[in-house]
Amino acid sequence: MNTRRFIVCLAAGFLLFAGLCPSAWAADSIKIGILGPMSFTQGEGHWNGATMAAEEINAAGGVKVGDKMMQIELVKVDTNEFLSIPDATNAVEMAISRNKVDFLVGGFRTEAVMVMQDIAMDAKKIFIGCGAATVEICTRVTENYDRYKYWFRLTPINAGYLGKVDFTLLGTVGAIMKKTLGLETLKVAVVAEKAAWAEGIVAAAEKTLPEKMGMEIVGIWRPSPVAKDCSAELAAIQRAGAHIVFTTFSSSVGLTFAKQMGELKIPAAAVGINVEAQKSGFWEATNGAGDYVLTINTYAPVKITESTLPFYTKYQERFKEAPNYTAGTYDALQILKAAVEEAGTLDSDALVPFLEKTDLVGTAGREVFDAAHDITWGPGYVTGLGTQWQEGKIQCVWPYNWEGITYEGTVPYKLAPWVVEAWKKKD
Amino acid sequence: MFLDILIDGLIKGSVYALLAIGFSLVLGVARIINIAHTALYMTSAYLIYIGTKQLGLPATVSIGAAIILTILLGLLIYRYFIRPIQEHEAAMLIATIAVAMMLQEVFLMTFGGHYLGVSPLVEGYTTILGVRVTWQHILALGLALVVLVGVRLFLFHTRMGLAIRATAQDREVANLMGMDVTRVAMATMAVSVGLASVAGAIVAPLVTVEPTMWMHPLIMMLAIVVLGGLGSIEGSFVGAYILGFAESMVVFMVPMGSFLKDSVALSIMILVLLVRPEGLFGVFFEEER
Amino acid sequence: MGLIFTHIRRFFTILRSEVIVLPGRLALVLFVIALLALPLFTQDLYFLRIVILTSIFAIFAGSWDLLSGFTGQMNFGHALFFGVAAYVTALLNIHLHFPPYLSIPLGAVGAVLAGLVVGIPCLRLKGSYLALTTLAFPIILTGIVFAIPGVTGGELGLSGLSRLSSSRLMDYYITAVCMLGLGLVMWLITDSKTGIILHAIREDEVAARAAGINTTRYKLLAFCMSGFFAGIAGGLYAHFMRLAGPSTLEVGLSFQVIIWSVFGGMVSIYGPMAGVFILNPLMEGLRVILGKYPALPEMRMLLFAALVLLTLRFMPEGFIPWVLDRLETECPRCKIRNVFFRHRCRICDAAMS
Repeated sequence: MNTRRFIVCLAAGFLLFAGLCPSAWAADSIKIGILGPMSFTQGEGHWNGATMAAEEINAAGGVKVGDKMMQIELVKVDTNEFLSIPDATNAVEMAISRNKVDFLVGGFRTEAVMVMQDIAMDAKKIFIGCGAATVEICTRVTENYDRYKYWFRLTPINAGYLGKVDFTLLGTVGAIMKKTLGLETLKVAVVAEKAAWAEGIVAAAEKTLPEKMGMEIVGIWRPSPVAKDCSAELAAIQRAGAHIVFTTFSSSVGLTFAKQMGELKIPAAAVGINVEAQKSGFWEATNGAGDYVLTINTYAPVKITESTLPFYTKYQERFKEAPNYTAGTYDALQILKAAVEEAGTLDSDALVPFLEKTDLVGTAGREVFDAAHDITWGPGYVTGLGTQWQEGKIQCVWPYNWEGITYEGTVPYKLAPWVVEAWKKKD
Repeated sequence: MFLDILIDGLIKGSVYALLAIGFSLVLGVARIINIAHTALYMTSAYLIYIGTKQLGLPATVSIGAAIILTILLGLLIYRYFIRPIQEHEAAMLIATIAVAMMLQEVFLMTFGGHYLGVSPLVEGYTTILGVRVTWQHILALGLALVVLVGVRLFLFHTRMGLAIRATAQDREVANLMGMDVTRVAMATMAVSVGLASVAGAIVAPLVTVEPTMWMHPLIMMLAIVVLGGLGSIEGSFVGAYILGFAESMVVFMVPMGSFLKDSVALSIMILVLLVRPEGLFGVFFEEER
Repeated sequence: MGLIFTHIRRFFTILRSEVIVLPGRLALVLFVIALLALPLFTQDLYFLRIVILTSIFAIFAGSWDLLSGFTGQMNFGHALFFGVAAYVTALLNIHLHFPPYLSIPLGAVGAVLAGLVVGIPCLRLKGSYLALTTLAFPIILTGIVFAIPGVTGGELGLSGLSRLSSSRLMDYYITAVCMLGLGLVMWLITDSKTGIILHAIREDEVAARAAGINTTRYKLLAFCMSGFFAGIAGGLYAHFMRLAGPSTLEVGLSFQVIIWSVFGGMVSIYGPMAGVFILNPLMEGLRVILGKYPALPEMRMLLFAALVLLTLRFMPEGFIPWVLDRLETECPRCKIRNVFFRHRCRICDAAMS
């Protein structure tokens, strides 16, 4: 009996040891660690986008390093960052020191990304961020260039730019409402999750809306990013008689808010950032109550560049959902490929100048990094999109004649019938 | 604003009350801090999702099946993992945490971290004194009352109820009086899990179904039960409404601080406990030795 | 010269007659040697990181046991101490540029103050009331953290702390020595007069009070001591991760520490610490093994929970006490512990039954 138990223990120990031992790796492949919370939509996006890019690149022969063709090998690094930060750091450390990845791509939750960034910088690994929007992650590059120069952010556009797009969207919708409903001054309810990245947007809204856009703010609500119930906020918003709800949500509260708002048919148009509304699952999760929600987005079935639509349709066919912005790992791999081929080496230090010179027309627009290694925003670069849920479909509604840009496939913005009904009568 | 707070607080409180009563029952009677209680509530929500959305069954059938399956699961867990270690309070506590984590991981593995939705039993909304309220919320309010009355009737007017109360007061003496303590505990567990799954059926359409949906209600429930007094069903009921109103007031009076509603609600709980260490309706047990 | 020789000989005598004869003590000695000698065999950064984090969490688990195991003050919100210390350490380091050897102890002092803030209102509460109330404190604090993003960084947390030391190897030795040292201190506390009083409070508070012990003072003392050790862990964590964020206050962390401790075996200090040293590397081992089968779904946490559940089902006292009970038996006459295969007691030669 005891002997048997002993043998079992021994075997288990051996297995563990065998597992911990580094195995031999094929030398002629470029290893890219894809970081993300792999059980969640965001991580799936990271992985799916990267998989598509890697398969396409490999099928075309691989990446030309010097005069050698190398295949891309992806390493799935499940950071579990929503549930545990130590888990995230362990996973990254393992990818770097044990799996010997050459590059890192991905990351989502800001708190985790900052720690993972430090680990990557310690190891001098190129890390292309595809998930966190916080400005501070990139200011580290300008503050301490020598240490943080290996970090680049590809997607999304940073919180500052998101704010700009946000106000443009608000202005656009405001103009449409004024015109179709004959309203004089628009009343706006500002609802932003209580998070550091949203502070700037709220502060700007407090100034810009009344002073520059001629809108009246009826109240500012700051629910928790993970609030499970927004009925009180909605009741107050309805009492205040808001025409527009200006939303700033990156977490699950966006879903809760949109769902309850739709169920109660609150007569106001939801405009702003709502990351949950970028996901394909949004429709089902809200039981269709999320109709007419407008949010900033990265991908939509429109022709931003030549490669957008092929990528979008292929992604949707293969993974049965629309790509959200974390699938920008697709472009990240293309950028890496271009830089590696030009530099002819995998050495991080040698690659940084080439990555800085990146000018690639990717799926999200023309991708160029600025001095802080942040993705450049603006007409002619990555603009971001405004997408609206219209009868169960994500439709691009912005840019619509903005700075002369209208992407092919963009449709006009629609007001919800109950909003029209509620405010038309008062005339 | 007063009306808004009143109605919204009432609605919030009802949702909490539905969740807290079952938990309070098992805590007060079987002395089990069943951390897995809300995880079972989540299980019921997921089962309803599977029934209605994936198998295409009618809502009533899937709700019925979900409630039965959840009760069975709860009893199995109790029979095989909790009862054998009943004498070890800490181990029992961890066992329930482990069960909750396992359920979370099982759903995370099968459905991923996606946010899912369950259709409400009654669609649409109504307007009460100028505040819009969905019918599903009103259903929750009604059901909370029904459950409260039902549990009271069960505890005070049935033989099993009598046995449960007797066991709650003194396990050993109840055993000596010829009551099958094990069966009583099983019955309590079944009722408690049943309440959790009913709550799942009613509350799930109001929230998002996702693998960590058990965490937040768990914390609020624990607060409510302590606030009301351990083991007091009425206490939990009142506690639920107090926290509901507290949350509502925070949002209406300090919109910029609406993220603080949990913190404020929990602070209220602590303040009440400072004044009444046994909770609002709790009985001050002579220290057990 | 002769004196040194005598001491060395005495050391070996003790080693032979008191340590080697008992598997538990032998295992402890071997563990300490292995921990200190590990970098001789591998300096793999990943490996060292895991052991560092494990050491930090071992201090944390030990501190929980000091309060909840020994004194019986069930704390469901132990992350409060960890988080407060992490934030205080980070603020002192970032704004006042205190070096780690100052900022960590001061952070721990912050946690002691938190211990007082929590301890005073909780003194009147007992059992489940206490447990469930303590759960609320870290959540309330999280609300405050989000309310003042200017100070705490909101969801970003405070980043950019200076490193614990110049190299990973030094980090390793600092945390390992801290863990061993603080573990010893905690163990000595529980073995001291204070420890006995704390234990008495756990067993029967009324009797302890009747015996003239100011139980209130001792319970507060337990909160403060526990807060201090948990705070050291929090401070080390902040400096090692170079970030103090809201995740240090999460309910998950509070639950985690209870799981480690109960799994390892409460009321022993070494049990919870050993629990961390078993479960934490095991989780990482699973990551490596499961990483080889990418087709499998992510199931580490599931296996972890299942393991904990099954362990407790069959070893409700915890893993370490269970193992020790198998390996060591108590002499029926003199109550001295013996290795299980001895037929006669090693001290009094009584027959072991």
